[in-house]
Amino acid sequence: MKSATNLSELFEKLDDLKTVFRYGEKLIPVIQGLVDFMRDTVPLLENINSSISESTSKIPKATNQISNVTSATELATTEILDIIDIISNDISTAETAISSLIKIEKEKVEILSVIKTLVGGNEKVDALFERYEKINYVNPILAPLTELLEKTRTNVYNITLSLQVQDITAQQLASVNHLIESVQERLTSLVIDFEVTNVSVLDSSVIQVPQNTTFDPNARYSKSVDQQDAADELVKDHHNRTSQDEIDKLFS
Amino acid sequence: MDLKFLIVDDSMTMRRIVINSLRNLGYGNFVEAGDGKEALDKLAVDTTINFIITDWNMPVFSGLELIKAIRSDPKVAHIPVLMVTTRGIKEDIIEALKAKVNNYIVKPFTPHILKEKIEQILAIAS
Repeated sequence: MKSATNLSELFEKLDDLKTVFRYGEKLIPVIQGLVDFMRDTVPLLENINSSISESTSKIPKATNQISNVTSATELATTEILDIIDIISNDISTAETAISSLIKIEKEKVEILSVIKTLVGGNEKVDALFERYEKINYVNPILAPLTELLEKTRTNVYNITLSLQVQDITAQQLASVNHLIESVQERLTSLVIDFEVTNVSVLDSSVIQVPQNTTFDPNARYSKSVDQQDAADELVKDHHNRTSQDEIDKLFS
Repeated sequence: MDLKFLIVDDSMTMRRIVINSLRNLGYGNFVEAGDGKEALDKLAVDTTINFIITDWNMPVFSGLELIKAIRSDPKVAHIPVLMVTTRGIKEDIIEALKAKVNNYIVKPFTPHILKEKIEQILAIAS
């Protein structure tokens, strides 16, 4: 009786085992599919890793190029400022020369007037004086020349002011470099994550961003006076408040 | 009043532009510094400096740190400071004013603005 019970239990267990095998048979293709998928994923991950590493390795070149642009524009700006200084000095020299000429011209006119009084009255002499005055009187030529030099000086100075764009773009480029550095850091951390999964890792390069660079990420070259007006308002408010505080202190 | 300016900016271009502008306004006495630390060194040795024009963003020691250092040193605290910077947002301007900057110019500046701010500072100082 007992052996019949045991056999019954055995058959039950065998049935259970059969169910497991049947389920296993159904599960095997799924597992196989999963394994195949993972096998296919590894090269894909390696490709992604390779792409990231390749992109990362190009970043230092990009940042160096940006730094080179900043250096080159600074050098060019300095050269322009040197030339502007030369032009400004030349303008000053020309202005001084014209000023001397105007002074000499004034003296000549005075001398001529005295001579005319002394030896005038002769028809031929008066005609010669008149002719001499016509060819020798250069003030009408010098006056516009002075204006022209003044105008040139203003234009040259305006070029100087426009060169502020170099400082502003340098800050913008420094800001871009900083952004690229952040991207590099993120990409490098992704490569490190791959390394943990035993996927081959390519060398990641390190960006050489100058450590002492400081910049305003919002720097912009704009001739709009809005920001200056806003600054003026704040300064005015601050000064008024400070003055009022001082008055209050006096009477308290 | 004879003014001797200390121009503080890490950009050589900007220092030259500011100096050119001041020359055009009739001033001729300048000292230059590339950052706040250098500016403090110059102030320590040259007691004739009586006007400071400074940028904000500079390596080593920023313009804001420079103003705070100047205002906390009784020997130089009285010297007017004009800030010329690209930082034009309200919070920055308020921060500079709290540090006791005398006036504020947002780059790019014009000679008219520079003249106006110097004159305003001198008028208040006198």
